[in-house]
Amino acid sequence: MGPYDSAVSTGSTTSSPSSAAKPSEIDGLLAGAGYKVRSTELHQVAQRLERLETVMVNAPSEISQLASDVLHCNPSDIASWVDSMLVEFNPPVSIPSDLSDFSDLTYIDSVVSPAINQTVCNNSWVEHHTPQQQQQELTHQLTVVTAMEEDSGIRLVHMMMTCAESVQRGDLPLAGSLIEEMQALLTRVNTGCGIGKVARYFIDALSRRVFTPQALCPTGWSNENEILYHHFYEACPYLKFAHFTANQAILEAFDGHDCVHVVDFNLMHGLQWPALIQALALRPGGPPLLRLTGIGPPSPDGRDSLREIGLRLAELARSVNVRFAFRGVAASRLEDVKPWMLQVSPKEAVAINSIMQLHRLLGSGPTRVSAIETVLGWIRSLNPKIVTVVEQEANHNQSEFLDRFTEALYYYSTMFDSLEACSLQPEKAVAEIYIQREICNVLCCEGSARVERHEPLAKWRNRLGAAGFRPLNLGSNAFKQASMLLTLFSAEGYCVEEHEGCLTLGWHSRPLIAASAWQPIQDPVINHNNLL
Amino acid sequence: MVQLLCRSKFQRGMGHEEKEKKPRFFINDNTDILMEILKRLDGRSLGVAACVCRLWRSVTWNDSLWEHLCFRHISPPPPGVRPVVVALGGYRRLYMMCLRPVLSRLGQKKRGLGGSGGGGDSDLVGRVWTRDSVQLSLSLFCVDYYERLDGRLGDASTSSLMFLCKPVNV
Repeated sequence: MGPYDSAVSTGSTTSSPSSAAKPSEIDGLLAGAGYKVRSTELHQVAQRLERLETVMVNAPSEISQLASDVLHCNPSDIASWVDSMLVEFNPPVSIPSDLSDFSDLTYIDSVVSPAINQTVCNNSWVEHHTPQQQQQELTHQLTVVTAMEEDSGIRLVHMMMTCAESVQRGDLPLAGSLIEEMQALLTRVNTGCGIGKVARYFIDALSRRVFTPQALCPTGWSNENEILYHHFYEACPYLKFAHFTANQAILEAFDGHDCVHVVDFNLMHGLQWPALIQALALRPGGPPLLRLTGIGPPSPDGRDSLREIGLRLAELARSVNVRFAFRGVAASRLEDVKPWMLQVSPKEAVAINSIMQLHRLLGSGPTRVSAIETVLGWIRSLNPKIVTVVEQEANHNQSEFLDRFTEALYYYSTMFDSLEACSLQPEKAVAEIYIQREICNVLCCEGSARVERHEPLAKWRNRLGAAGFRPLNLGSNAFKQASMLLTLFSAEGYCVEEHEGCLTLGWHSRPLIAASAWQPIQDPVINHNNLL
Repeated sequence: MVQLLCRSKFQRGMGHEEKEKKPRFFINDNTDILMEILKRLDGRSLGVAACVCRLWRSVTWNDSLWEHLCFRHISPPPPGVRPVVVALGGYRRLYMMCLRPVLSRLGQKKRGLGGSGGGGDSDLVGRVWTRDSVQLSLSLFCVDYYERLDGRLGDASTSSLMFLCKPVNV
């Protein structure tokens, strides 16, 4: 018996021995168990196994005969073994009622006419049926199809992991063929939701890495990124949670000060600041003088987008009678910013706000001084009242590709899952593009191009602690506000948790984003060091 | 109450004879009393009242009515709020865009958790209408104002309050 390439073992047209089949064609998982099946034939084998199971359940009397007489000619060739079992079960003349499912099987005829057998077996579901039997068949078929879809999803995950592992090993040809197979499998899976959607993005990222590694990764800061960011802000609560929690902490830190200065590491459209301006306007004792310094990328088309955002914020502040001053600092990378650009005055209370920016500084080339240490150093030298840090709660900065891939798969499937609950279009679709860019950067880019180097809260705690910061408790007001914000979102799966003074927002107990607040440890020596 | 007032106006228009004997009272001549009555109504009734006639609409559109509605259950109202709210679009807009969906959403959740129907709408309102929910509504209202400031920010359809206004039935 050769490899399974026809309905019965006789009359096969391609008589290639099993060893000639390419390794990628043979399903890896079953191969591990000792069975050789071509990946493309897998669903047929599964269908037949299902039927075999049904038959075995329905005809127990036959089984004893099976147990004693069965001849396992070549158990490694599972497909033809299943076929031989099915032939055994089909009596040639009289068909018992409980085997009506198999009245279409014409295996006995197949011995006579092997040429037509292939097509007969492939279409065996719908031939030679009475309407009643057809109904039975259809529901049976549907059950099998749904089961196949779940299995396809699981298969996709396994194949992706195998592909990622081969990428890590450097075996790009194998990875390439796996990617092609996966793309074929994707056409049979529903890619609109669930595992199919996640798989689609990850397979796309893998194919970019394998086939077009020289293509520029979409960079972090660019103007269209602001639009993607805005839609991501609308579609799910992660950014709203970040903004509201940070604002609450900053508000509490500014209590009692009349001149306050906020430095925003990534201004975007400035969506965080209206709420702070309004809260400052309403604070007992009246609003302080608020200065905002917004850092952002330079606009490519010559428009001063930072200034435009500043003007809008100024207009809002004027409407609510808050004295306001704005300053924009254009820099393509955060490490290019020098503290003198921020023009911090010594008598004002400073707050540093970093929403998902610090992780970009973690990539260090061999010649560069660690960017994160430089930036944390000058933050400390400004002596801020509070530093609010919001970061993705994930470990995407591992050097081994497979570890990064696995972690990213879990993280982003949870995030896509939470996005399913959003019903706003086109926000949801554009938010997916935003997430896709992150995924591509995590998986496809290396070195200085990879800016999405997320690290979990525990690592940030260590890093900030080592840089001379102590954690501040975010407080119960922030927690209450975050919980209330979440009840407004109709999806039930979001959860806010508190860990040692930091708040995390997650989906079904998997934290996805973490907010924390810090203050530099007062050191008598530091006060003598002025701004660089 | 609203229906009674509507009917009295209708009866006058029809020219009933009984009114010759009694001193006439026509609510439209006494808009201050109308205001006092409307102050005690809930949001939905105010909306209905605004549909009666042009005079009623202008009375109901008075922002102080809606201010009273917003802060009815919180006493005293936070100081200095009025100029801020007026600058950001007024109390009626605050109620319709933010406060009402926030409260109904919070009420749904509480109802869902509590299980039973509870003691009616006003009871529910008293339970969820806290200073915190008003604060949150104000913040969201401010973000909405900011987004409306310049239509060029994305487009008119993106508003951070869209997630509050699901199936629309104002």
